[in-house]
Amino acid sequence: MSDNTNLAMSASARVYTCSWCGTVSDGTSLSCPACGATVDVRQTVTRSEWIELPGRKDMAKLQFGNSYCQIEGAYVPVADMNLAPEDSVYFSHHVLLWMEPQVHVSAMSMKGAWKRLMAGLPIIMTQAQGPGHIAFSQDKPGEMIALPLQPGQSVDVREHIFLVATGQVAYDWFNTGIWFSTKNGDETETHYPMGMFMDRFSSPTTPGLLLLHAGGNVFVRDLLPGHSILVKPTALLFKASTVQMQLHIEQPRSTKSSWSSWVSTWNNRHLWLRLTGPGRVAVQSAFEYIEDNGRNISSHSDATWQKW
Amino acid sequence: MKYCPTCNRTYTEDRQKFCSVDGTQLLNNQVTVVSQKAQTPGQPDPLEPIQRVECQWCQSQNERTALSCRSCGAPLDIRNLVSESGWREAPRLKDMTEIRFGNSTCQVEGEIVPVAEMSLGPGDAVFFEHHVLLWKDATVPMSVMPLSGGAKRLFAGMPFIVSIAQGPGRVAFSRDATGELVVLPLHPGMELDVREHAFLLASHSIDFTYVQIKGLRNILFGGQGMFMDRFVTTSTPGLLLLHGYGNVFERTLAAGETILIEPGAFLYKDASVTMNAQPIKLTSGLFGIGGTSMNLAQISGPGRVGIQSMYVHHHTQ
Repeated sequence: MSDNTNLAMSASARVYTCSWCGTVSDGTSLSCPACGATVDVRQTVTRSEWIELPGRKDMAKLQFGNSYCQIEGAYVPVADMNLAPEDSVYFSHHVLLWMEPQVHVSAMSMKGAWKRLMAGLPIIMTQAQGPGHIAFSQDKPGEMIALPLQPGQSVDVREHIFLVATGQVAYDWFNTGIWFSTKNGDETETHYPMGMFMDRFSSPTTPGLLLLHAGGNVFVRDLLPGHSILVKPTALLFKASTVQMQLHIEQPRSTKSSWSSWVSTWNNRHLWLRLTGPGRVAVQSAFEYIEDNGRNISSHSDATWQKW
Repeated sequence: MKYCPTCNRTYTEDRQKFCSVDGTQLLNNQVTVVSQKAQTPGQPDPLEPIQRVECQWCQSQNERTALSCRSCGAPLDIRNLVSESGWREAPRLKDMTEIRFGNSTCQVEGEIVPVAEMSLGPGDAVFFEHHVLLWKDATVPMSVMPLSGGAKRLFAGMPFIVSIAQGPGRVAFSRDATGELVVLPLHPGMELDVREHAFLLASHSIDFTYVQIKGLRNILFGGQGMFMDRFVTTSTPGLLLLHGYGNVFERTLAAGETILIEPGAFLYKDASVTMNAQPIKLTSGLFGIGGTSMNLAQISGPGRVGIQSMYVHHHTQ
């Protein structure tokens, strides 16, 4: 990847292309006006080609429509929106931090409420209409990700990562198709390592802004067509809609031949999410532990196995 | 003329060497107060009158050469971070910043979950909830602070026992989650209400009591339970340290100015600020039928209000 100093001088004006979101600006400010990424530092790329989320100066200001969003704080950042009268945002009500009394909030009903309720997803999104200030934050230390969506662009986001989106962004959700069942006598239990559903955000006609909150640090990687990697299912933050997902189960080989080591080998397995390109994927460094009862898997979604 | 660098009292009698209120050694010279923004800390010009820098967080006066406020530890050499909506970020304390109070010092160590390490002078003491104690010298004596309304506090889930550590010696405190230390030097005559379990420690000169939250709606939906801690200074200044989860922001509301906040985000407020649970109806569809509601805390000025950005309430035992 090229570094962050994508400055090109033309005869008339200086042009800066943000390497995080691709927005072209005049480069006169210290941060990208669309995503807030700092423009005067190099991109940090690991040897395995994971790109760290670009740094953002405290109080960086983003513009969407006629409104602004200021991102404040370093540990648990706050998205402080200054909404113009014609602009709106929507969010899950538990991320609301504070608002001015003149901001009008209402419920945004969604399809499939019963399924969402069963899956532990919010069944009602809340909508806030300008003018006025309204601010959002999540409940864990981490980074805020700004994803400006261009017309025709869409992104798939794992459940409970979404913070707030502008009114121009369309919201939908779909079944992840990642599951497995374990059996204990007559009792069958179905597990969803990354949740039953995933959120899908897209901008059909006009550009929009999507804000996510990740636990810990964020790393992104662009996968080539056919290239696949294994990530922990709960570490996935978002992916391009072109990236395919599949369950992968791995069983380590035992080094001893005792009864206890045989039992532990039987129960010891790693559940992975196989992501196959082309497209961008993002992971978070602080992710939830997946409960696995270690029982025999009786059935599962399309998966690959590896027994060592 | 002399002045006290701790409480900022001035004394016209040149023979006086110590502050008659807090015992701090007095400093010489009538000084000119300059604003923090206009002042770049460095060596003073010997030809100019000695100037002082006012800390914009706690309004204490500091010597011109100081890099951080001696009363609250706020860096004096970097600009304040204030959002366009008027929220000021709590000053990010430099690692190993030292704060003075009475004959004691407090060193703030670490940045993710900061530790307040107190070096208590003879005659000084701090009080705290026992679960925030990190380590102490074996020689530091501990005692229990007598509290009024013990049964009420017990039923409300507030700390039933508040401990006191007496100087001389070292004792250190920290909380159980990522966040910021909020250093609030309390000048004489201040009253501050603090969310229960949010206070880390307070100097012994501060009166500790509680405020009963009025109204069933406020108790059920206000997010603070039945009581809030109240810290009061009468004639002597004191030092109060809070721990906010995530980042901490403060805003000063004008008289009658109102904002709505998530109840779990509330951290502290001046006693003059009022707080009431406010139901917000979320309607959808034609004629506004259906929907749900949520409760926010309506905060009205005049006075300061502090909030924390990671507002999940961490239960403490």
